[in-house]
Amino acid sequence: MADPEKSQEDERKSPAFGVVATLLGVFAFIVAVGVFFSSQYYTSPSGTVVAQSLGTTEVNGQSMPHVALNFQTYPNSTGSRNAQGTGPGSVPVHSSGSDSWPAYGMSNVFQVPAHSLVTVTVHQYDSGGPLNNPWFSKVHGTQDGTATVTTPDGTSSTVSSWDQNNIGHTFTVRGVPGYDPNFFLSVPLPTNADLPNNEGSASNQDNGQSYTVTFSFISGGKGTYAWNCEAPCGQMVAAFGGVMSAYGFMSGFIHVV
Amino acid sequence: MSIATAPLLLEDTPLGPKAGGLYRRQNALVGLIAGVVLAAIGWVISHALLQGSNWGSDMVVTVTLTCWVIGFNIGIGTFNAPFRWVVGKDSTREDELYGAGVGQGAARYWKYCTDHKVVGTQYFVLVMVLFAIGGTLAMMIRTQLITAHSSFLSPGTYNNIVTIHGMIMIIATIIMVSGPFANFILPIMIGAKDMAFPRLNAMSLWVVVSAVPPLLATFVLGGVDTGWTTYAPLSVQAPPAMDAFAICIITFAGVSVTVAGINTIVTVSTMRAKGMTMSRVPIFAWGSVVSAALGLYAMPAFLTAMSMMITDRATGTSFFVNQLGGAGWLWENVFWTMGHPEVYVILLPGTAALMEIASTFSRKPVFAYKAAVAAFVGIGSLAIMVWAHHMFTTGWAPNLATPFMLTTELISIPTGVIFLVLIGTIWKGSIWARLPMYFLYLFLWNFIIGGVTGIYLSDVPADQFFHGNMFTTAHFHYTLLGGAMIAATGAVCYWFPKMTGRMLNERIGKTAFWFIAIAFQVTYFGQFWEGFQGMPRRIAFYDPIFLRANQMSTIGAYFLMLGWMILLAAIIVSWRNGKIAPANPWHAKSLEWKVQTPVPLENFLVDPVVTSDPYTYGEGVPDGQNQPSAAPEPELVPAGASESTSGGGAS
Amino acid sequence: MSFEQQFDAIENEITEEGDAPPFFSRPGGKIFIIWLVFTAIGVVIGVFAPHHLLPGLQSGTGSDVWATIVFFTVLAAPVAAFVYALAFYSLLAWRPKKSGSSDEPPPDGPPQRGNGPLTILWVGISTLLVIVLLVWGMTVWSSQQVAHDGALQVNVTGQQWLWTYEYPGTGVTSRTLELPQDRPVEFNVTALDVIHGFWLDTMGIQTDANPNENTVIRTTPTTLGGFVVRCSQLCGLNHAFMNNKGSVVTPTQFGNWLVSQGATTSAAAKSADVPESSLTPSSTSTTTAAPMNTGASQ
Repeated sequence: MADPEKSQEDERKSPAFGVVATLLGVFAFIVAVGVFFSSQYYTSPSGTVVAQSLGTTEVNGQSMPHVALNFQTYPNSTGSRNAQGTGPGSVPVHSSGSDSWPAYGMSNVFQVPAHSLVTVTVHQYDSGGPLNNPWFSKVHGTQDGTATVTTPDGTSSTVSSWDQNNIGHTFTVRGVPGYDPNFFLSVPLPTNADLPNNEGSASNQDNGQSYTVTFSFISGGKGTYAWNCEAPCGQMVAAFGGVMSAYGFMSGFIHVV
Repeated sequence: MSIATAPLLLEDTPLGPKAGGLYRRQNALVGLIAGVVLAAIGWVISHALLQGSNWGSDMVVTVTLTCWVIGFNIGIGTFNAPFRWVVGKDSTREDELYGAGVGQGAARYWKYCTDHKVVGTQYFVLVMVLFAIGGTLAMMIRTQLITAHSSFLSPGTYNNIVTIHGMIMIIATIIMVSGPFANFILPIMIGAKDMAFPRLNAMSLWVVVSAVPPLLATFVLGGVDTGWTTYAPLSVQAPPAMDAFAICIITFAGVSVTVAGINTIVTVSTMRAKGMTMSRVPIFAWGSVVSAALGLYAMPAFLTAMSMMITDRATGTSFFVNQLGGAGWLWENVFWTMGHPEVYVILLPGTAALMEIASTFSRKPVFAYKAAVAAFVGIGSLAIMVWAHHMFTTGWAPNLATPFMLTTELISIPTGVIFLVLIGTIWKGSIWARLPMYFLYLFLWNFIIGGVTGIYLSDVPADQFFHGNMFTTAHFHYTLLGGAMIAATGAVCYWFPKMTGRMLNERIGKTAFWFIAIAFQVTYFGQFWEGFQGMPRRIAFYDPIFLRANQMSTIGAYFLMLGWMILLAAIIVSWRNGKIAPANPWHAKSLEWKVQTPVPLENFLVDPVVTSDPYTYGEGVPDGQNQPSAAPEPELVPAGASESTSGGGAS
Repeated sequence: MSFEQQFDAIENEITEEGDAPPFFSRPGGKIFIIWLVFTAIGVVIGVFAPHHLLPGLQSGTGSDVWATIVFFTVLAAPVAAFVYALAFYSLLAWRPKKSGSSDEPPPDGPPQRGNGPLTILWVGISTLLVIVLLVWGMTVWSSQQVAHDGALQVNVTGQQWLWTYEYPGTGVTSRTLELPQDRPVEFNVTALDVIHGFWLDTMGIQTDANPNENTVIRTTPTTLGGFVVRCSQLCGLNHAFMNNKGSVVTPTQFGNWLVSQGATTSAAAKSADVPESSLTPSSTSTTTAAPMNTGASQ
């Protein structure tokens, strides 16, 4: 408003300074909040686990790169940290979680090349129980629809499903909308009633007692894919609270490059 | 008459050194310290007793935050008066005057002050703070959605931000008109010296203040990943942040809104000036009373639901857990029993304020006053019968879809009357295009779009497509932000001179208006577009087919935020250094403009006498709402003399 | 047109001049023009925009959504345009110059305190419109509620964070939703943990998946093609990823797909309602799904 009574003594100073100061102040506040929330985004201290190249291979008459990806599942974050010196490395632990929660390691973010054969080896140290949905006790989306399981006593078998009452975790990967939405992979990571109950302890890593699961799949097109565990390994309703509701322990991303 | 000859205003009464008793030592900082101390004690005890048990962390969070709320309110002084009453030491008049802020200068804004004008101003600042937080969270959401697979926020953080943005905005919008204006303006409008229950009035404010930290604590307690509707069983599964969320709701909805609603209703019922019949009260009083009554119906349901939620989580009951014999639908029913009336709790006082604005700035009486009252009452009555339209697609009682479709669509009849009243008031008037009128027009534009998009959602077959979809998000932002909050902004611009003693800088204000008006359309047309394409609500990552629509919405949202920031700047610079406002800058006829600015304690030097409603524009009769002419003219009291004690003009 | 009479009624009441100028230069005429323009814009948007914005609709219930949007928009456009026309005309006609920067109010307007017949007319018209909306909604909704004999049963299970679809009688459980063309389908929707939203956007049907509750919704897919099932109810951490693909295929393709998923040919033929001889017993190749329905922007 073009003020005709500009001479009023009440108009003590130009509002420009106040306006600019307010805008800058609020803007700085928003940026600070944005930085805070963005920093809450869990990133593993191990960074992204990059698949190791194994050269090229031929699948169904097509030549493609062959890579190996290794990770572990731990009964608790404390135990896996104890095990750091002996190899498996650090695992996702962050402020909103608890040290007694199970976790994937060494990281929750993996990187594999596009349209390649990926051979995954998982060391499963955790105990487990029955699934909410027996569908996840089957192997979906791997080469031949099978996975090879080595039990702690050393016997190996190639399976397309596992007893739905003895699943520790699952490794379930899906195409994010827009990036290869048909891509789907789900592998049960078995456990066994004979495996000592190791919740809250590091005994299995120390004893080297693990189920080793090996499977291969052909990665999709470039993009980011989401993975998570579908076994009820958390708390509260359907055991999908707690660790299952906190990003970084039982969920993460796979970058396909 | 004795007051008229007295040299001093009431607020200049000298008080003894012990007036106020314990109140002398209490302020927001003491409340903060007391809250933290009691919370720490609660944490230590509950941690020691419960941490080993299954429900440990939930109970620890519940106990700790309950202790915080109680501690803060002990520290601020909420319980002083009841306590003194119980031990038989009632307050003296000096204590009462101290409690009303006499002799404390600007410090009374940080205290448990019973003066309704102080409470109104405190509410005004609180609402702006809440909007700043909620708006900042909205910026987080829109920034995340600027690309399809953003790595700005983790999925859990995003979900929590969606929840807290929703809840903090709901809290802010519920109190945005009934807090500042129904407290500051309404008693003066009806010729009352204060609210009926001044201490409860202060309590309603400080209880909201104590409810905000638990809500923000959700960010460090794992996050509430459920949306503000907190549907069970997901909310029973959620991290302990959900307990903090529930404590916030119980405190806010169960205590503050209820207490404030009773206060408003009793004030308007019993404290009107001589001659102020219910057909002569300004229409804003009607809107506020119906809104308060609706709040009294709605909010206890929220209190109940959240209490049951806490027992489900912390003690292992199963009201809402289907797997254990409870019912998620029970939660949805109880929640929406609160949830839909709450929309009209938000909307009614704002539209009533717009009717005042329409009358003042068209220089015409409110058109069809009685129809407007009937519309408010009609909306209030229908609003409690429509809740299940939020549940058309939940699978609960498909046979009830038709009756709820009926009630939902019926509510558009009284809503239509509100448009008739606003348009009829403007019709053939002399439009005085000051800032409040701008926001009235923006309200008309937005609320029509909000209403029309609402009829798609009220239709069950179409709702099968739009439910849980960004279209719904855009729709309720058109009604709540584009409708109610724009109305509240108009009310801010209208009553700013009375509340602060300064004129709002309209040049900056109109700049802000154009940013808000245009950016708002861009933001939410983007979201309508997303909805039509089929994008679900509350997703952190989306199919790239929605990319363009999301980018349009995000860019709009940035400019919308800029607009609000400019408006905030206008408010801040005007409050500090604006032009001193005359007592009646709008030449309006209701009583709040007939008292001097800053408004003295207990408002009226002489009891007002009312002989007509305040809408006698163009009728060539003297004002029917005034202080008797025997009283000194308000202008004779130098404004500067009282300014130092009122603090309204000073920062 | 009743609105027009309304303008005239108002105008006659407040216009002092006895001899009326031509219609389009009177306030009522000008408002009529503004109203006409806004109505036209609304109707054009209402008729043409939904078709471009909505994803490709694949069933009768989906077309109901489209028809409802068009019908309601066309119905609402004149009403909205009426309010806009009055508001804009008021702004143009009765705003004194520079009133926005004046500290003095313009002179008082006429003291109209209401108009009983107008209010009754206004309420009457809104009531009529509401009745039309309600009749439309009830008619469409009841037509969608009809159960068909021999409908294909699909048991839909939502869980955090995947949908699985079971085809009873075939032993097939899949994470993709294949539906035969022109065959009524009944979805029995439930959940294992928390509430999910089962939403087939291209078919215009949606219901929540509630744990321990079974909710039935029906549709008849009519158009071949793919679609995406997106969870419409916030269900926790990975809600955004809880979507998967489905497609509408011919009955024979559907039967072959069931076989490829492990069903016996006889069970698949029974479920798909096609002769057993038309199915390929081999399970090596899966049916080539129709291309993804990617909605309007592509």
